Amino acid sequence: MTTVERRFPEQQPDALFVPEMATIGRAENLTAQDRLFEIELPGGKDLGHKPGQFVEVSIYGFGEAPISVSSSPARRGSFELCVRKLGGLTGKLYTLGAGDSVGIRGPFGNGFAMEDFEGADCLIVAGGIGMAPLRSVVNTILADRDRYGRLILLYGNRTPDDILFADELEAWGEDDRNQVLVTIDRPAEGWDGHVGVVTTLFEEITLDPSRKVVAAVVGPPVMYRFVYVELAMMRIPEDHIYFSLERRMKCGVGKCGHCQVEGKYVCIDGPVFTGEALREFHESI
Amino acid sequence: MRGDPDNGVPVAIARVRGAFCPQCPGSDTAGEMFERSERFMRRAAVLSETGLREVLARACQKTRLMAPVRRGKTSFDFEWIDDPDAVQMDYVRTVLPPKKAFLPVREMLLEFARGAQQAAAPLLDDAPFVLFGVHPCDLTAINQLDWAMGKRHGVADPHYVARRSAALIVGIDCMPDEYCFCTSVDSSDAREGADLFLTPIDAGYLVEVLTDRGEQPLAESGDGRDATPEEEAAPRAHGAEKKRRVTTRIESELEALPDLLERRYGAEVFEETAARCYSCGTCTNVCPTCFCFDVGDEVDLLLASGTRERRYDSCQFLDFAVVAGGHNFRGERVDRVRHRWFRKFVYLLREHGAPFCVGCGRCSKFCTAEIGLVDVLNSVLAEAKEEAVR
Ligand SMILES: Cc1cc2nc3c(=O)[nH]c(=O)nc-3n(C[C@H](O)[C@H](O)[C@H](O)COP(=O)(O)OP(=O)(O)OC[C@H]3O[C@@H](n4cnc5c(N)ncnc54)[C@H](O)[C@@H]3O)c2cc1C
Ligand code: SF4
Ligand code: SF4
Ligand code: FES
Repeated sequence: MTTVERRFPEQQPDALFVPEMATIGRAENLTAQDRLFEIELPGGKDLGHKPGQFVEVSIYGFGEAPISVSSSPARRGSFELCVRKLGGLTGKLYTLGAGDSVGIRGPFGNGFAMEDFEGADCLIVAGGIGMAPLRSVVNTILADRDRYGRLILLYGNRTPDDILFADELEAWGEDDRNQVLVTIDRPAEGWDGHVGVVTTLFEEITLDPSRKVVAAVVGPPVMYRFVYVELAMMRIPEDHIYFSLERRMKCGVGKCGHCQVEGKYVCIDGPVFTGEALREFHESI
Repeated sequence: MRGDPDNGVPVAIARVRGAFCPQCPGSDTAGEMFERSERFMRRAAVLSETGLREVLARACQKTRLMAPVRRGKTSFDFEWIDDPDAVQMDYVRTVLPPKKAFLPVREMLLEFARGAQQAAAPLLDDAPFVLFGVHPCDLTAINQLDWAMGKRHGVADPHYVARRSAALIVGIDCMPDEYCFCTSVDSSDAREGADLFLTPIDAGYLVEVLTDRGEQPLAESGDGRDATPEEEAAPRAHGAEKKRRVTTRIESELEALPDLLERRYGAEVFEETAARCYSCGTCTNVCPTCFCFDVGDEVDLLLASGTRERRYDSCQFLDFAVVAGGHNFRGERVDRVRHRWFRKFVYLLREHGAPFCVGCGRCSKFCTAEIGLVDVLNSVLAEAKEEAVR
C-alpha cells in the first residue's frame, strides 16, 4: 500500500493577509471628498501593476479597502491612489498626508487587456470616481501614444466641484488625437460646458466605422446598463467593451466570497469583464 | 445582466457552458497539501472502549483535543476538552460542524500596534491537536474546505493551512436521522482526510488506520490488537445499513444539477422560500462547507494596539453585498436565498466538480423558519422537469 507522506505546501506567503508598510510621499485634495496619494513602497520598488488592477489599502485600527491604482505602470518608484471618503477606512485615509504610513497588499485583479487597445481607437467612459482607474489607462496610452489610435474620453460627474484631475483633462485634450468631453448631471452656476448624464455625450462623438474601437467603462453601477446600450448601438463588439465591476471585498484573493458574481470572483477574475462575459450573468450590473 | 428587452439590453444569446467534469482542473489542488488517506484502510485494529478513552486521555495531555460533547438534552457540539470522559461517541449531528477547528468563528489574523511602520507578523496557530469524532459527511466537508482554503485560485490561506496541517483527525461512523441525505451527495462512506476511522463493534471499535500519522496513537496504546477478518468487514456492513436508513434524497444526479437549476433561475420556490426566510444566517453558520468570512479590526481600550480579525459571515445577511455608496447587489431576499442553493449546487459544483453540500442536514434542522434544503432543491428540480416535458 502506498503511503502519501504529509507534505507542507511549498512556501506559501504566510503573510497573505499582512500588508506591506508603505509611505505616503505626497497627498493633495482634488475635491472636497477626493484625495490623491503618492505611495512609496519600501526601497522604492515598483508595484508592478497593470491598469485596472487594485490594491488593498489598510490602516491598522480602521480596516482595509480595495482601491484602484490611479497611476500608469509607466510611472516608476511610486504609484498613485485616488480615494473618495465614504466610510471608516477611506475617511481616515483622507486625513493622512506626506510621511504617514499605510499598509498595501496587492496588486490584485486582472486589469484591462491593454493589448486589445493597441492600434485601436480607444473610447473611455468614466463616471465619478471611476476616473481613478481609467486615469491609469489614459496615461498608459499617452506614455506610448503611437501604439494607439484616437483617444476619446467621456467623463460624467454630478457637479463641477466633483470633477477629478481637471488640469490633466485639459492637457490631454490639447493633443488633437485626443478628444476629452466632460459633462455634469444638472446645470450649475459658472458651468458653461455640457450638461446631462454621461450617455448624452455619445451624441457628440463620431466614430470612424472603418476602425477597430475598444471601450473601457468605469463608474457607478447604475451607469453601466445605459452605457452598454449606447455602445451596442455604436456597434462596438461586446468582446471589445471592458467594464470594471465594484463589489464588497474582504480578501482580494478569492476566498472570502463577498465579491462573487455567480461563478466568478471580481477580485481575481475581474474587476474587469468584457461585455460578452457580463452577458452570461444575471447579477452582474 | 441577462439580456432583458424591457431594460433596453440586447437579448442574450444562449451560451453553452463548459461541461461538468469531475477531473476539472483545480479539483485536486488540496491533495498536494495534506496527506490524504486512502479510500480503504492500511490496516485494521480493534480498540476497546477503555482503550479508546485512554487514547483520548493521552491526546488531552500531550496535545489538545477537540471532540463532540453533549450540550443539551438532544444537542451536541465540538469543543476543546480536557476530560476524555466527556467525549460523546454516539451522536447524530453537532450544532456547529468541526470546521471550527480550522476556521474558528472568530480568529486573529495579525496583531498590530497603531501607527506602526513595520509589517505585522501573521498569527499562525500550528500547535498539534486531535480532532476526534468526525462523521463521514463532515470529513467530506473538510476535504471541500481543504480545496477552498487551499491552493484554489493560486494561493493557500496560511491560517487555515497551519491549523489543518497540525490536526490528527479521527473519524467515526454514524446512523442517520430524517434530515441526513449523505447518500445523495456521495459522502456516506468518506474516509479521505481522516487519519483513523472508527466503526462501533461488539468488542469496542474497529479502527481503520488510514495514514502514517494515524499509527502513532495506536503505537502508544497497549490496547490495540489486530482485527479478525469478521471484524474487518464491520465498516462495510455498518455503511450499508446506514445507507439503507437514509430517507431523504435529492431527486437528481449531481452532474445534472447545475444545468437544471440554472434553467430554473427564476423558480417560484425561491420566492416562496424568501417569503419565509428571516435572513438570520443560521443555515450558513452551521454548514460544514460554508466558508465566507468578514475581516475587521478590533482595537484595545487605549487605542494603542489591536488585532485584525476574521469571523464567519453569511451571504444571507442583508449587507453581505453592499458597497460604499449604499448599492446592494443582493438587496432582495430572494436573490440571497437563491444564492445559497446556486453557490452550493451550481457555482462551486462546477468549479470543484463536487457540490458544496455534504448532506449533514444541519441547515434544515436548525433553520429558524423550518426551510428544508432538499425540499427546496427538489421543488426546483420538479419545476425544471415539468418545464422539460412541456
Ligand atoms: C475593485 C475596486 C476598486 C475600487 N477603487 C476605488 C478607488 O480607486 N477609489 C475609491 O475611492 N474607492 C474605490 N473603491 C471603493 C472603495 O473600496 C470603498 O469606498 C471602500 O471600501 C469604503 O471603505 P470604508 O471603510 O471607507 O467604508 P465603510 O465604513 O466600509 O462604509 C462605506 C459605505 O459602505 C456602505 N456600507 C458599509 N457597510 C455597510 C453595512 N454593514 N450596511 C450597509 N451599508 C454599508 C455604506 O454605504 C457606507 O457609507 C473600489 C472598490 C473596488 C471593489
Ligand atoms: S447545505 Fe445544509 S445539509 Fe448541506 S452541508 Fe451545508 S448544512 Fe449540511
Ligand atoms: S436559517 Fe433559515 S431563516 Fe435563517 S437565513 Fe437560513 S434559510 Fe433563512
Ligand atoms: S474579495 Fe474575497 S473572494 Fe473576492
